[in-house]
Amino acid sequence: MADASATSGLVAWWDEPAPGPENMAADELLAAEALALGRPLVRVYGWSEPTVSLGGFQRLADARAATMIAGLPLVRRPSGGGAIVHGTDLTYAVAVPRSHPWGGDPQVLYDAFHESLAEELRQRGVAAERHPGRSRAAGDEERFLCFDRRAQGDLVVRTAANTTDGDKILGSAQRRLRGAVLQHGSLLLEPPPIAAAHPGLLRLHPAAAAWDLRHLVTAWLTRVAAEAGGPLDTRLDDFAPSRAALMADAAARFRNPAWLSRR
Amino acid sequence: MAAAPKFAKTHEWIRLDDDGLATVGISAYAVEALTDLVFMQLPEVGRAVKAGESIGEIESVKAVSDFYAPVSGEVVEVNAALPGNLETLGQDPYGAGWLVRLRPSETGELAALLDQAAYDALVKSQPH
Repeated sequence: MADASATSGLVAWWDEPAPGPENMAADELLAAEALALGRPLVRVYGWSEPTVSLGGFQRLADARAATMIAGLPLVRRPSGGGAIVHGTDLTYAVAVPRSHPWGGDPQVLYDAFHESLAEELRQRGVAAERHPGRSRAAGDEERFLCFDRRAQGDLVVRTAANTTDGDKILGSAQRRLRGAVLQHGSLLLEPPPIAAAHPGLLRLHPAAAAWDLRHLVTAWLTRVAAEAGGPLDTRLDDFAPSRAALMADAAARFRNPAWLSRR
Repeated sequence: MAAAPKFAKTHEWIRLDDDGLATVGISAYAVEALTDLVFMQLPEVGRAVKAGESIGEIESVKAVSDFYAPVSGEVVEVNAALPGNLETLGQDPYGAGWLVRLRPSETGELAALLDQAAYDALVKSQPH
């Protein structure tokens, strides 16, 4: 578990791929841990099979009507935003106590993660920038997939083929809990098979295929940690909540059809 | 005449009305911080709630937040027009943007809430 005596900087776990309910459960427990320790915690992870995560209030009927995702497992996130087809992305969850400087204005936490990655990518030759637009584009909530939406601060890469909105490579969404903020984010690496129009980082910048992904993420989170006034403390073992029973209960809740069909 | 509103640390306001019921809403500060609201879920009428319990959720652009009962009681009315007209929350958070009306069961809980001056001080101390 994290050292509670050092409260600046960032503690990050690199977790093994897991099914959707377990991933959501771990993130929820990450928020409880961040609140208990009074410091930001990050979990970087994959998915054990291609999975669609729905935003907290997206309609299940819309997911059922989206034939392109038929057959893929669904899980509902506690955070907002649009649906993400996981499998060709890298997902992160950051949990921050509400009392932390990142726990107030939602945009501050988005920007801390998005601008830090933009800086790291620009240094590596990728023309990444935060989307400057208004906080929500007209009709955006009608778009089912997160990567079809554009919100202020989304990380985009402009290319000759897309000079207007740019191609989105990183989107994040939050759940603002009583004592903590949980932010989910997805860094799109390659196009999901069902959404080939979203190229992802490796198509936009082919040289990135040779990068060590873990090195990229470490460099990114080191920048984020510096924003939080301290070092990055990486944990290469799985994020393991102190009570396994809590994890099982939380995963059962995210697996419950009542949660999935809440809207 | 209705009493002055009091505030919870979680940014809900509550006002005891002449009929003994209490009207609950979200403070202007909280509404402004949420920005670009897209969806709201209100509680069911008749539900018994405890002070501090989540009684609904609101989604702004890419963030989902709970709102909480400032006092214990029974939900006797909800502002059913609000989810379809979320801009009202920003335009009139202390009037037409009310969320629910409660029948308080523990009137002493009201005294423990913040008055306007204390709430203003809390807002000033919030991280930006």
